[in-house]
Amino acid sequence: MINEFKLPELGENIEIAQVVKILVKSGDKITKDQSVLEIETDKATVEVPAEMDGIVVDVKIEEGTKVKVGSVVFTFKTEGVETEEKSEPVKIEKPVEVKAEQIKPIEQPTKAVSTGIIEFKLPELGENIAVATITKVLVNKGDVINKDTTVLEIETDKATVEVPAEVSGTVIEVFVSSGEKAKVGQVIFTVSIVATEVVKKEAAVKVEDKKVEVPTPVFQPQKSNDAQINVAKLTPPIIPSRNTMPGKIAPAAPSVRRFAREIGIDINMVRGSGNSGRISIEDVKTFAKALNEKLLTTPVSAASFGVSHEPLPDFSKWGNIEKVEMSNIRKKTAEHLSYAWNTIPAVTQFDKADITDLEKMRKLFGKKVEARGAKLTVTAILLKIIASAMKVYPQFNSTVDMEKNEIIYKKYYNIGVAVDTDRGLLVPVIKNVDKKNILELATELGEISVKARNKKLTIEDMQGGNFSISNLGSIGGTHFTPIVNSPEVAILGVSRSVFEPVYIDGKFEPRLMLPLSLTYDHRIIDGADGARFIRWIVEALQQPFLLSLEG
Amino acid sequence: MANSTQLAVIGGGPGGYAAAFLAADLGMQVSLIELEKNPGGVCLYRGCIPSKALLHIAKLLNEAEEAKKWGVYFEKPTIDLEKLRTWKEGVVNKLTGGLGVLSKQRKINYINGKASFINSNTLFIDKVDGTTEELTFENAIIATGSVPTRIPGLSIDSPLVMDSTAALALNDIPGKMLVIGGGYIGLELGSVYAALGSKVTVVEMTAGLLPGADRDMAMVLAKSINQKMESVLLNTKVVSLVERDNKVYVKFEGAKAPTEEVEFDKVLISIGRKPVTTGFGLENTNVKVNERGFIVVDEKLQTNDPKIYAIGDVVGNPMLAHKASAEGKVAVEAIAGHKVAFEPSAIPAVVFTDPELAWAGLTETEAKEKGIKVEVAKFPWGASGRATTIDRNDGLTKLIMDPETQRILGMGIVGAGAGEMIAEGVIAIEMAANAKDIALSIHPHPTLSETVMETAEMFFGQSTHIYKPKK
Repeated sequence: MINEFKLPELGENIEIAQVVKILVKSGDKITKDQSVLEIETDKATVEVPAEMDGIVVDVKIEEGTKVKVGSVVFTFKTEGVETEEKSEPVKIEKPVEVKAEQIKPIEQPTKAVSTGIIEFKLPELGENIAVATITKVLVNKGDVINKDTTVLEIETDKATVEVPAEVSGTVIEVFVSSGEKAKVGQVIFTVSIVATEVVKKEAAVKVEDKKVEVPTPVFQPQKSNDAQINVAKLTPPIIPSRNTMPGKIAPAAPSVRRFAREIGIDINMVRGSGNSGRISIEDVKTFAKALNEKLLTTPVSAASFGVSHEPLPDFSKWGNIEKVEMSNIRKKTAEHLSYAWNTIPAVTQFDKADITDLEKMRKLFGKKVEARGAKLTVTAILLKIIASAMKVYPQFNSTVDMEKNEIIYKKYYNIGVAVDTDRGLLVPVIKNVDKKNILELATELGEISVKARNKKLTIEDMQGGNFSISNLGSIGGTHFTPIVNSPEVAILGVSRSVFEPVYIDGKFEPRLMLPLSLTYDHRIIDGADGARFIRWIVEALQQPFLLSLEG
Repeated sequence: MANSTQLAVIGGGPGGYAAAFLAADLGMQVSLIELEKNPGGVCLYRGCIPSKALLHIAKLLNEAEEAKKWGVYFEKPTIDLEKLRTWKEGVVNKLTGGLGVLSKQRKINYINGKASFINSNTLFIDKVDGTTEELTFENAIIATGSVPTRIPGLSIDSPLVMDSTAALALNDIPGKMLVIGGGYIGLELGSVYAALGSKVTVVEMTAGLLPGADRDMAMVLAKSINQKMESVLLNTKVVSLVERDNKVYVKFEGAKAPTEEVEFDKVLISIGRKPVTTGFGLENTNVKVNERGFIVVDEKLQTNDPKIYAIGDVVGNPMLAHKASAEGKVAVEAIAGHKVAFEPSAIPAVVFTDPELAWAGLTETEAKEKGIKVEVAKFPWGASGRATTIDRNDGLTKLIMDPETQRILGMGIVGAGAGEMIAEGVIAIEMAANAKDIALSIHPHPTLSETVMETAEMFFGQSTHIYKPKK
């Protein structure tokens, strides 16, 4: 008969344990008291012995996973029943207990059976993103979730993203709550997977005392092609104890470690000159000196030092205040823009484009575009114009690498569009603008703005921009000085168009004028080129034919 | 009008008083709030100190018995329990009284009472003398410690069922005693009662005594424990405790457990300790407590409430006095504005049984779990001259090293006096010493400390007193 080996009681308040090692595999013969598992609880690492002799049928868990007390670790058969096993038509993965009274000739089980617990881990979110803030946990213990249901809302440095479920099932336990931070790979909740297959064949039934084993096919969570479940096993979701010793400890005496900390040096960065790489105070000083020199010779980073760290006065002395933690987006925006401001010697060039004629065309074709489900906006037209201008002036499609003294020219034309959302500024990127017509751009722009406002943007949607547009026209204003979205080298600010008297052929005429502000990186773009670039845009707006002619 | 203080330390245990004393030394104006008349906490009143005093007597009794082997005969000792208790209490009073004096000398405002938070900068203190006080603080350190865990549904309210505190009170010497839990507290106290004449049974739920310690070390200790105890039941659970006719009847569950109800005169429950994080108004602050009941702190021991720090047992394992003291000092320095962090490479742990078992840094078990590659060298005390002179060859010293740099990552010692010797391991680990450093440092002869040097020599296949060439 098939027995289940369940994780035994481990002590008071211990409900869950991490399986460090599984000492048996399918087919292994086990004897009573033999250690079959090594587990780690909050309190200790323990070897768990088998309760009786048998042969392991199927191991249900993987090393490194967390298992609840009472859940099945593996199944095993007691000896002497092999013949019976072989005759089973269905592969036995997991026995189901059925009360003896219910056993008659077996009815076709019609309903799904719970067949496994899988962990839902925080998926990979993009390059260099290791931690995210869980802004909302949308599931509760006991909830039934379907594949693709949104289960989490998370905020990374780069965006707010909704995370869908990968499988359908019932939520067993949720390990995080809204507002907490989680690491990529951390277990967020566990789901009991529901098999949707129906047992097709009648299985042999053996009545024994009160229990009967009914073999059922098992729904295997698709793991192989499932990045979210395959994410490397990381630390358990408990708040890590500071007292667990790290795997590698810097080989430095306590006095040296403290000295490094005092002067703000991460001891793990320091190379030890002593025997076995031992780090002396001298090594720390040498490292600090080298770091200082590097900072001083790199004007860029030196400039960014000393900024934003001025102590603040106690504002509550003068009245009531409220303190709110910065959201990740806000924090990242602040850091990024400070960096750009400090690094880029920026110049802003103003101009105005006469869009009176363009506006007529926009109204003329607007309906046609609308019929296709999009809106013909000035931004959509500008996207096309800028991509063309970038082809004429390739330095606007570049990045400066000061470290290597290189200029990187890009041969693709991706343009970011700043979108104002209730969570802050987001810049989704429209890819390969040069290969799309204005209608396609208008459609895509519409979709991506909706996505941004509905928190549906993915990290991918916001990466890879070469140039940015910030259109504040809907709000108002004349000109402004946008900040270059580093490592891009230029940004076009668009303000509200207004009718102005323009002196044409000896008289003033009312013309619709669009104020434009082009900020560019003076390290790579000369003033004259900046003026030429904005003129090119202005002329293209005034003479759309230019697009076809030169763009 | 509320009184105010610069630093309020809540709890006068080894974490709290070490913090308060250092803060005073750094020039802070400190209030130390504690229920007992003098500082000391569990460690001095109900833990480390009284248990060690009693273990000293246990050792004496065992050695007197053992002396027969060496041709020295003592009469069977008579035990004056009253006098023994008085002596033990004298030890406690001497040390706690001393701390009281040290507190006064430092001009610490010692408040005899129980504090609870009204908000993030005010405490309400219910004083022992019946009065109350409100105390505002610039910073606070929570050092409320831990209490013994009880088994839900099992613990019965009976003077026959003791926790470690009751066992240390030493009210009587029971004829038959059951110790539930084979961890260090159970083994230490079980050893005391066994030496005093009780027939002690130890029951442990897991497969071995001292879960967490390396098995090769625990085995050496288990051998001696098995001899001293009436029986040791492993893989066994206690399923019921019933008091009847001034006895406790216990039912077990486990492969080798007795199936019948077993009768005991007293039962000691020592299955662990839990942090004290409720009952003192933490909910009125922004201090966060995790799902295991520990206060969440960062490496500076700062809680989620920036003015409030927490140290010792309340912030996590290991629940050890010396860890609490070290944390207390870090917290105070952080409050003083120094750039510090609690970042030890090794926290030693000692089980004061006979033989003693001690370790520091990485254990072999931990290395295996974490997949850290290590090289292990062991020196059995059978080859130690000093161990032989005291007839204590039941010992083992081992070093856990980085295979590439031979850096000492951990040390384990089981044997007489292991607790004193482990400090060498702590220094070696903290200073990033390697095996050669230890092998080349001259250790005094004849001492047990030589085993540390010889273990390092073992690594190079050159131990003087063991012939085991390196493969």
